[in-house]
Amino acid sequence: MGSSIIQAVIDGVLTGGVYALMAAGLTLIFGVMDIINIAQGIFVILGAYLSYALSVHAGIDPFLGLFITIPALFLIGIGVEWGFIRRLKEGDRTAMSILVTYAVSIIIEGVLNVSFSVNYVQIHAWYVNRSVHLFGFYLPYIYLFGFAMAAVLLIAIYALLYRTRFGASVRASLQDRTAARLVGIDVRRVSTICFGLGVAVTAAGGMVFGATNAFNASTSYDLISRLLAIVILGGLGSMGGALGAAVFMLVLEDVVAVVWSPVWATAVFFAALVVVLSVRPAGLFGRQVARAQ
Amino acid sequence: MTSLSAEPSAPGGPVPGAGPVLLSLDGVVAGYGGGDVLKGVTFDVAEGGITCIVGPNGAGKSTLLAAVSGLLCPRLGTITFRGEELGGKSPKAILQRGIVQVPQNHSLFREMSVRENVEMGAFLVRDRKVVAERLERIASLFPIVSERAGDKAGSLSGGQQRLVEFARCLMLDPALVVLDEPSMGLDPKTLHSMFETVRLMHADGRTILLVEQNARAGLRLATHGVVLENGRVRLTGSGREVLEHPEIGALYLGGAVAPVATGS
Repeated sequence: MGSSIIQAVIDGVLTGGVYALMAAGLTLIFGVMDIINIAQGIFVILGAYLSYALSVHAGIDPFLGLFITIPALFLIGIGVEWGFIRRLKEGDRTAMSILVTYAVSIIIEGVLNVSFSVNYVQIHAWYVNRSVHLFGFYLPYIYLFGFAMAAVLLIAIYALLYRTRFGASVRASLQDRTAARLVGIDVRRVSTICFGLGVAVTAAGGMVFGATNAFNASTSYDLISRLLAIVILGGLGSMGGALGAAVFMLVLEDVVAVVWSPVWATAVFFAALVVVLSVRPAGLFGRQVARAQ
Repeated sequence: MTSLSAEPSAPGGPVPGAGPVLLSLDGVVAGYGGGDVLKGVTFDVAEGGITCIVGPNGAGKSTLLAAVSGLLCPRLGTITFRGEELGGKSPKAILQRGIVQVPQNHSLFREMSVRENVEMGAFLVRDRKVVAERLERIASLFPIVSERAGDKAGSLSGGQQRLVEFARCLMLDPALVVLDEPSMGLDPKTLHSMFETVRLMHADGRTILLVEQNARAGLRLATHGVVLENGRVRLTGSGREVLEHPEIGALYLGGAVAPVATGS
């Protein structure tokens, strides 16, 4: 029992890293733009399908395929921002963004259903069904590679935000949009690029998700509810919060599945959210005061 | 509209450093949504002076500043800076011409350090050497910039945040500093040092345009006064003239005042 709990914790941490990456994109978009991107779930699935298509039809390894799918999702994100998000009025942006991105989600879901049918598929590669045996535990290669990739991309995002001029303009926009405009930051441009980046990370997350789960377009509903739970738990707009919450939630889910029952694992995921919010309404790392203006 | 004088020449209130017109508003109409808040505002800001705009709530003071800094595009009329039309230009383009604004609400980036905040003031300056030089100079004017350099801006008191905002706005080496109700939310003691700092920025060669709810204090500081009412200019004159104008005193300053010594 003890070792299976440790195994569950390890699995939770490794998959949590990938969820952290997907959630980081969602929280970046919310933080900078006050946009709740309900389409994040379907973008993950779109990323998974793109990797799947490249792998099946062109024989491109899913990890190598990221060099195509990440820029593709970045451009799609920019297109969606330009076509739909930018047109929302300042006053009720957040509420309207939920409707608009939900509509975007339905459109993409329809296109995916027509293109790939509703049958479940899964991405295959040599590392998907193999594990390495370390210290008495079985670690699936795909989990290890996925975690390593998520870590590299999260570090890259961190470096972008904290080590570059563009990053400074993102952080400034995130903290006070008017003040950012008054020091000369083109907040609109920053917003567009952030939306693109927030969507681009779903290509990477989607690839790992698609390799570890059978999926079809409807899988996006389960995904978006999990991602929203993670970013709300972490505190909307907080990157560190999203990381911590993703790992916490996935570990909790995996441990509950082992010690109790897989049936309850998903329920506990959301029960944890309710419990934490009743104690800390702004989430674990919430900064509502900072965002009051 | 009553116009007392275009040139500041109030008795007992010599106007230091008043020069040619730096910023000129002519028939500016602007507002949010469907309505016009400014209904044809015309006045000049003299180079080297401190121009203080006073008026009751809803007169359009903050809207006026938003139009000057490019946050709001005027529907009609012209705003010219050194002879160049500003209407329709982005906040960035206006900053590049040397107009910076410190907004009414605290506007520091709370999660960034004091030093980072001040550096953000020079976001448009790409030459790191220039930024470092200016930072050093501004830190000598505002000791708090070096004393609290590493602290998060959100941890400072209201008055300290105001000082850092002033320091930040000087990083672009602006010709015109626009202050929107700098006294907002400050206690009386801090208020005094804040006004002293405005004087310091003025002495440092900046032309100042400020909106002040604390009209009496603002006008005492100012070389020029503008009274705004219902989106129109009601009166212009030297700070002292507006301050001592019987009608204005009764309407906006809580009764006419006895003459006061400059700088008190």
